[in-house]
Amino acid sequence: MAKVRILPDRVANQIAAGEVIERPAAVVKELVENAVDAGATRIEVEFRHGGRSLIRVEDNGGGMSRDDAMLALERHATSKIIEADDLNRLTSFGFRGEALPSIASISRFTLQTRETGAEAGTEIVVNGGRLVHVHECGRPVGTRIEVAQLFNSVPARRKFLKTDPTEAAHIVSGVRLYALAFPRVAFTLIEDGRIIFRSPECPGLVDRVGEIFGRQLAEGLVSLEAEEPGLRLRGFIGRPGAGRATRHEMITFVNQRPVDSRTLNYALIESYHESLPKGRYPAAFVFLDLDPAAVDVNVHPAKREVRFRSEPAVRSFVIRAVLQRLRELAPAAGPATAAPVAPLPAEPVLSVPWASAPALSQGGAIVRPVFLPPPPAPRPAVVASSAPSPAVARASVPTETGRDSIAAWRYVGRVHGVYVLFETPAGLVVIDRRAAHERVWFERLQAEFAAGSVASQRLLLPVPVELDPVATALLLDRLEFLNAHGFEISEFGRNFFRIEAVPAWMEPAGAEPFLRDLLGAVREGRFPDGAIGLAREELARLAVAKAIRLPEAAGEAELRALLSQLFACRSPLSSPSGRPTQIELSVGELARRFQK
Amino acid sequence: MKFKINRDHFTNGLAQVLNVVGSKATMPILSNVLIEAEKDHITLTTTNLDLGIRCKIKAEVKEGGAVTLPVKRLATIVRELPNVDVTFDASPNHQVKLASGGSNFRIMGIGKEEFPPLPEFGDEKSFTLEQAELTAMLKSVAYAQSTDETRYILNGVYFNFRDGKLSLVATDGRRLALVSKELEVPATSAGAIILPAKTVNELARMLDKGEKLKISFNDRRAAFQINTDKDASGLTDSIYLYSKVVEGNYPNYQQVIPKETHQRIKLERELFLQCIHRAALVCSEKSNSVKLKLTSNLLEITAQSPDFGEAHESMAIGYSGPDLQVAFNPSFMMDPLKALNKDEVFFELKDEVSPGVFKTLDSFICVIMPVRLS
Repeated sequence: MAKVRILPDRVANQIAAGEVIERPAAVVKELVENAVDAGATRIEVEFRHGGRSLIRVEDNGGGMSRDDAMLALERHATSKIIEADDLNRLTSFGFRGEALPSIASISRFTLQTRETGAEAGTEIVVNGGRLVHVHECGRPVGTRIEVAQLFNSVPARRKFLKTDPTEAAHIVSGVRLYALAFPRVAFTLIEDGRIIFRSPECPGLVDRVGEIFGRQLAEGLVSLEAEEPGLRLRGFIGRPGAGRATRHEMITFVNQRPVDSRTLNYALIESYHESLPKGRYPAAFVFLDLDPAAVDVNVHPAKREVRFRSEPAVRSFVIRAVLQRLRELAPAAGPATAAPVAPLPAEPVLSVPWASAPALSQGGAIVRPVFLPPPPAPRPAVVASSAPSPAVARASVPTETGRDSIAAWRYVGRVHGVYVLFETPAGLVVIDRRAAHERVWFERLQAEFAAGSVASQRLLLPVPVELDPVATALLLDRLEFLNAHGFEISEFGRNFFRIEAVPAWMEPAGAEPFLRDLLGAVREGRFPDGAIGLAREELARLAVAKAIRLPEAAGEAELRALLSQLFACRSPLSSPSGRPTQIELSVGELARRFQK
Repeated sequence: MKFKINRDHFTNGLAQVLNVVGSKATMPILSNVLIEAEKDHITLTTTNLDLGIRCKIKAEVKEGGAVTLPVKRLATIVRELPNVDVTFDASPNHQVKLASGGSNFRIMGIGKEEFPPLPEFGDEKSFTLEQAELTAMLKSVAYAQSTDETRYILNGVYFNFRDGKLSLVATDGRRLALVSKELEVPATSAGAIILPAKTVNELARMLDKGEKLKISFNDRRAAFQINTDKDASGLTDSIYLYSKVVEGNYPNYQQVIPKETHQRIKLERELFLQCIHRAALVCSEKSNSVKLKLTSNLLEITAQSPDFGEAHESMAIGYSGPDLQVAFNPSFMMDPLKALNKDEVFFELKDEVSPGVFKTLDSFICVIMPVRLS
């Protein structure tokens, strides 16, 4: 018997499904794309149990005849391209002709469609790739596809699905992307019979952003419009200074296709280099239009990634366009930009541990002796836990000689406002005030959380917060946790909350940005469910970044107090985010550097 | 220009205008004082573009004219001069000769043309007030201003001229102080401004020079004309203070003030202040709250910090309502108590989540939100 066989179509489809359909959100994506390609002006998406038990996408697009519908369920059947060369002229979403048969092979699949002008619609039911029946049915013009019992024939895949809320969040954010890309199409999204959002046809993108992400966000955006031969960039970007903790609100489209393009993302982040502090991301909804031939979407079956023919050209065009717009805004943007964030020293300089207090000259350039030997070790990767990294431990010889001896350290002075110098018996210690404060506060907050005694200051004027549906769901899940840790947040209508009390150490005005950053962290999975210890640690870590305001003028007494508080901590050597709090220059090292 | 002036008068005049000048002026001219001589006085003006001050001092003017000089340095020099008589002589190239007794200074100035003009006022609304009264009113609310720059609307004192009274309001989002006085407010002059914190400070500093002051304002600016009839150290006419106002809508403070009174206690202000102050001594950054416990005719004040210890104070009061407990940030309680000068204050409470309200027999109200341990 021959060892090599051609696989039956059903198996081939199931394998293809593995590539295209990795989770319920992918089904929704494929079906919504088909609906858009069919010219629909109204799309309704419904799903149940995170898409596991039901996904229904209904549109009022062109529909299909009976024969077309049958053919659509065959592999590599598509109406969108005819020959390979068409790939260079793609203006539709789909072209592979794999989605429908793949989905049909792993679910109970019902397709109802009626073409414009046809007398009656067609209903096709396929179960796990086997045709159950085809007959006529009544329905309005358009197509309705129901996908039930997804992954019924591939139990392995079913096991790998995440919890229903997670899968639901993926579906919601996917549908939102398409809703943004097509403001003129009315979208409705229903989860378990509950309307997540319903957005009628919007006159423009900014209205759609407001509908989906909340009006507060939409009001903070400015329009962007730039054109060069062969390239066009349009959309909305956040004002300078208004950053987000995550990239969730940095959304890019290429020829109206939502994509995850490193080139575009980095170009955006780079453009905001001077307008946002490091580690913050801009809110951006930008559409890049270019010749279909200059972009390859056939990189990944899910088409989430794209490749540009000329990455550098696209990149520099985006940076130019965004920078230009940001500069125009700069004088009018008011206090937010009045004090631009000082450019951080470039990474390579930091990699020399004992030179990491670079002297900033007037112009902000870094004065660095050129004769420095190559860095002894690469900069330690930022450690997520509070355990000191090896490099930090190396810099910590003084602590091993005992905490009692810090009283013997001689205060030398403050350097550039942020560093403090002490002379020790073994050499010289440089303390980073911010990192030290962060460590002290971090342990203080942790102790407070653990003791369950979090003082909460009620506000005279509650702070209203409007969130998008995903963030609302996340917040609702964590409301109890937050309210047990100094906040008092109450639901105040759909996607609307009021902060009525904040932890006593927080400024009332800091409450809303903090909450948004916190939800960003939750989205990144930094607040695991059920692990209260970890969640508390994460909350404390976020809080210290906000809570600390370094007093301008700190005298010796205060800085000494800081030093002793720091050394009273459990792990005084690193800040909660893993940066070192101190650097030691030993007498020997100083001597070596002066070539004695 | 040339004039002769009394050293102490000159020092006093410079002291009035000195504070406006920031240490890090972006335009060099802003760290200068404009000196103009005419008739029998000189006029001193400084501005940082947000706030400008102008005062006039008696002098023997021999020749009129104007020049600007670095004000900080000038003030230091004038204060240290050996003789009371000072002659001041500016040449057309803006060099100034300052002579007093045996000391002579030559100082480089800048021409008056570069000095930004103080704003002209047009169709503004204006009121006349008593200086002493406004001082007391400012003092009783100023501590509640916010210092958090992200909420700039609250970085000032709200002046509301409406409904036959002037109300001054300040809040930082956790507490709110309000004081009002009756004042005839014609319908056409009704209006409100938010006076920035820096202006409030300067204003409070100047309000002891005479009887009356006049406040004029429109949507963007406010001006104060402060009489100096009680001043004996050279000031003549009035001091003028011109300020930008904080533009924006002040929060609706009326909705924050509780409409009903639940439990009201009468307190001896000094005694209560001392008790809170003592109890707060054990507070730390970590646990900055003081608990009040009301039982029949007894007020207990407790504070504690886990790593230090605890304090317990008790006061006899007249109280017959239900037992109740509530905690506050001690400085929120002490600030109004310190600022007031009445012997008795009323303190109204409801429960541990409702605000506490200080009142006096005058129309003073201070609402403070409680702290809760969750």
